[in-house]
Amino acid sequence: MWKYTLRRVLATVPALLAVITICYLMLHATPGGPFDTERKVSAAVLANLQAKYHLELPLWQQYLYYLNSLLHGDLGASFRYADWSVNDLVAKALPVSLTIGGLSMLIAVALGVSLGIWAALRQNSAADYLLMLLGSVGSAVPSFVLGPVLVMVFAIWLPWLPSGGWSDHEVRFWVLPIALLTLINLSTVGRVMRGSLIEVMSSNFIRTARAKGLPMRIVVLRHAIRPALLPVVSVLGPLAISSITSAVVTETLFSIPGLGKLIVNGASNRDYTLVLGLVILVTLVAVLLNLLVDLAYAYLDPKIRY
Amino acid sequence: MQKSLPSLSLLSLLLTLACAAQSAGAASVPAGVALAAKQEWVRSNGAEPETLDPALAESVGANQITRDLFEGLTATDTSGKTVPGVAESWKQVNPTTWVFTLRKGAQFSNGDPISAEDFVYGWRRYLDPKTASQYATTLAPFILNGMDVAEGKKPVTELGVKALTKDQLEVKTPFPVAFLLDLLANTQFAPIHKATIDKFGKDWTKPGNMVGNGAFMLKEWRVNSAVVLEKNSRYWDAKSVVLTKVSFLAIEDSNADVKMFQSGETDMVYVLPPGAYEQLKKSYPAEIKNGPMLGLRFYALNNKDPMMKDLRVRKALSMVIDRDVLASKVTADGQIPAYGVVIKGIAGADVTSYDWAKWPMDKRVAEAKKLLAEAGVRPGTKISFTYNTDQYHKKMAIFAASEWKTKLGLETEMDNLEFKVLIKKRHDGEFQIARHGWIADYNDATTFLTLVQCDSDANDNKNCNRKAEELINQGNQTLDPVKRKALLTEAARLVMEDYPMIPLLQYTLPRLLKSYVGGYFESNPMDHFRSKDFYIIKH
Repeated sequence: MWKYTLRRVLATVPALLAVITICYLMLHATPGGPFDTERKVSAAVLANLQAKYHLELPLWQQYLYYLNSLLHGDLGASFRYADWSVNDLVAKALPVSLTIGGLSMLIAVALGVSLGIWAALRQNSAADYLLMLLGSVGSAVPSFVLGPVLVMVFAIWLPWLPSGGWSDHEVRFWVLPIALLTLINLSTVGRVMRGSLIEVMSSNFIRTARAKGLPMRIVVLRHAIRPALLPVVSVLGPLAISSITSAVVTETLFSIPGLGKLIVNGASNRDYTLVLGLVILVTLVAVLLNLLVDLAYAYLDPKIRY
Repeated sequence: MQKSLPSLSLLSLLLTLACAAQSAGAASVPAGVALAAKQEWVRSNGAEPETLDPALAESVGANQITRDLFEGLTATDTSGKTVPGVAESWKQVNPTTWVFTLRKGAQFSNGDPISAEDFVYGWRRYLDPKTASQYATTLAPFILNGMDVAEGKKPVTELGVKALTKDQLEVKTPFPVAFLLDLLANTQFAPIHKATIDKFGKDWTKPGNMVGNGAFMLKEWRVNSAVVLEKNSRYWDAKSVVLTKVSFLAIEDSNADVKMFQSGETDMVYVLPPGAYEQLKKSYPAEIKNGPMLGLRFYALNNKDPMMKDLRVRKALSMVIDRDVLASKVTADGQIPAYGVVIKGIAGADVTSYDWAKWPMDKRVAEAKKLLAEAGVRPGTKISFTYNTDQYHKKMAIFAASEWKTKLGLETEMDNLEFKVLIKKRHDGEFQIARHGWIADYNDATTFLTLVQCDSDANDNKNCNRKAEELINQGNQTLDPVKRKALLTEAARLVMEDYPMIPLLQYTLPRLLKSYVGGYFESNPMDHFRSKDFYIIKH
């Protein structure tokens, strides 16, 4: 297991280098640069700016310069946010994204798994249909529709919660964005869990367990849930990543200073270093989550050994 | 852009304009208005400011904040009028030389006194190529050797600013700058506390490090969330400052902005979402504000393009766009139809228009068709229009294309691009017709004339009218404001007869402001507000 983990971690290095290189080239190939604004910058001032950010060097030298900084733990200076380094920006946005993404994932998994089990055990009942219908609606309604509805109801009609903004210390600012992300993920987790448990419940070893006279509660809790969780674990990786990176809609709707917004702003401002820094971060998170998912497989399924 | 020295006759006029210290333009709470116990203002400020360093600040949002944190020799009051800032008085000793006397007791937020040397340092730093300010060449042309310094051709010590004494600052301009006092209200020309920058370097703008001289101090900066300021008790006019705390929230999405206003999270919506003005005007009659702004929406025409280089084509395209319908039905947010590069409310020149602007549309269309026929452009000809992804621009673009189609039979190929790509194409001349917009950097017509001047970096049309250029140069040399205005107006009229671009609308500022926030003036066309002029009414 440890060897496997180490091997996976080491395999990250070439993958990361490939991601950085491809992203670096793509960013520089995109038309429009960081200093293109409505007011055209004069040639002399452009030269000053390029010198400040080493953009006057040939591309390969810039690339090596960047890699060298990276090896020293420096993600570089932001092109857009002149007062901040990319390290600063990431350090400020990451906790926000982790709070929203992490908590919403936890709630979505806990609720989704519970509801999935509940529905699976009542397969084809009215309650099951209702739950799955709600799940389908949850998957089908986009966040940019669901979000404003939540704001309208809980911030404007019933002024219980703030409609936007962020505070690290005040939980009331977290509620609506977490609720939105939870609702989006909940239906996926619930549906996968339901389908998986139904399948497991019809397998031979469950039939054997029931034939031995074990009560239903024990059959489900002791024998069915673990294998039924495998597909749920599989979807958790992509879901978790999208909760951090694709949360841009949620972040925009609620004016939250998270990573998703930084990535989009970074790309539209041609903030090369900021985008690269965030791509590296997301790649690392993706690798880590995939590793955790694989390790969770081994825990859940005795047949899997690394 | 350095101009020749003024004539001796001009020098003989030696203006000695002394300005007695005026009353400060601080919050003037009308009699009978009861103030709230809590004087804290929460306002939306659009996108996250790119910096709080006044030398680097370029966006409107960043400058909204730096105006609270820093103050130059002059400043603006809530109606946009220029008022004394750190300078108590000044005199123009010759057409291109001014001497400013700093007010006694002016100090930085850490208690250090402000001296003329702090201005010299701040100005030199702003234009120093090492600072690499994107905004350097916008204001540099108005200070002697400014452009040469910004472009690295001369050392910063050659900049036309000198500390005569501790309290006296001499400013030299390359030509008589009629609006110098307005220009100096920009915080790029604020005094800067050198010791702070020496100590903290790039981090000098962070809370706890920053030393400024404005009415407020930086308390907190949460990136992409909020910049929080608190009252600076060491500000020279602190007794007139009513607010104790101002929070500038970074809210990019205008729909989210309105929702936060509705739910009481903010006291001001920075700018309304497209198409929302009429409805919000009905819902919030007491809170809606919509004053004119010194900004022009227009379409750039590539004057080097094979088809667009024909004046008749450019004129025909401009003539048939019904600005009244565009303003009242399409954008429907109170914007003002525009027919010239100089817009309403700007100082230094009068608004110009075209004769045909008053014609009935039928006559305009007939004339436009005739012009196109003469130019050999037949109905069905394709023209290319480029704009950036935005609901507002899209609505306007569809309207323009429909005008050209229905009235002239031209087929418009719409090219919807991402903002940076549009900018790049426009700067590189890879377009035929392109969306454009311009906000005044200072209240003088020359800020708009740069859009149509020969060899100007701001001129994407690539047109050039040497006669108009000469008139602008003459205007810039004259000290007589009436004569200058006449010359610049004539220049604007002349250059617009070439139809280098299609002026469409003058910006307004449709926003919402809680009725308990006092001090806002709709007639502040530069949108240069300072929180020192605001107060919270008891509610």
